Amino acid sequence: MKFILALMLLLTSASALAAGGFMWLEGLTHSVGQPDHVVTFSIICVLFLILGIIYRAKTSNVDKALVPDKGITFRNIYEFFGDFIYNLSKSTIGEKEGPEYFKFFMFYFLLIFMNNLIGLVPGFMPPTENLNTGLGLGILVFLYYNFHGIRVQGLKAHIAHLMGPIAAMAPLIFVIELISHLMRPLTLGLRIRGNMMGDHTVLAVFSDLVPYIVPIPFYVLGIFVCFMQAFVFTILSMVYMNLAVELQDHGDHAH
Amino acid sequence: MDSQSMLALGAAIAIAIGAYGGTSAQGKAVAAALEGIARNPAAKSDIQTPMIIGLALIESLVILSFLIAFFLQAKIGA
Repeated sequence: MKFILALMLLLTSASALAAGGFMWLEGLTHSVGQPDHVVTFSIICVLFLILGIIYRAKTSNVDKALVPDKGITFRNIYEFFGDFIYNLSKSTIGEKEGPEYFKFFMFYFLLIFMNNLIGLVPGFMPPTENLNTGLGLGILVFLYYNFHGIRVQGLKAHIAHLMGPIAAMAPLIFVIELISHLMRPLTLGLRIRGNMMGDHTVLAVFSDLVPYIVPIPFYVLGIFVCFMQAFVFTILSMVYMNLAVELQDHGDHAH
Repeated sequence: MDSQSMLALGAAIAIAIGAYGGTSAQGKAVAAALEGIARNPAAKSDIQTPMIIGLALIESLVILSFLIAFFLQAKIGA
């Protein structure tokens, strides 16, 4: 608790420094010639890779890895999120199919969560605040679940699912379903962008008003929003995945 | 009233009505879910996930109205 409070105080005093428009990556963005969100996203990807390698190295000895660590360690935090997403994918996608697609959603959850969290550090812009990042992530989910839907059910059944159960209504239902499918990456991207921008703006306004102490509740709120948006993005992708993959058991008579 | 102020008003009204409808619907959904959890606390995890999915789907229409407000706002300066 003391540690968290000290961290918050450090962050707020750094935000006073960042109020003058200071950015950590300004030099790098100029020399690489890429926009800020691309550079930040790449740095987080590299960080992600390093964390993965560290985790892999810690658990490579199977006999030792069987016994969990004591207290809050790097490995326990990593496994907490892994356990969380594993159970979520099992309950949302299905007992059998869930573990198959678990890796993708785990990757997505951690990536988005880290990208959101970096915005809380003064002097960094969260990459998810830019619409291009959100849309890119959303389009990848769209391609992924359509690919697996076609792979599992076949192209014919996948498209027939868009038609609805009644043949006479098919032309109308097909258009509506198609639009709702094409809206999915758009709403995923816009949701994360809008929420992160709102959260970041609130934080910036209150840091500008009073740089010390006052923004601490908004940092707590910010951490919650970061987690919630990553969670919502992941669970919605899982639901889309479930709709694309699992429906062949029900057949046409069930709905 | 010139077209500039009409655009500004249109953007503000679009997001205002969208936010009002979305939040009142989300309030109803959360109230029903909390009632269910209060009656049967054991079903908390089973209720929570569909509730969040429902909230996100309600929110997506609010986001679309935000998109329209955003497009209108971009037109103001032009």
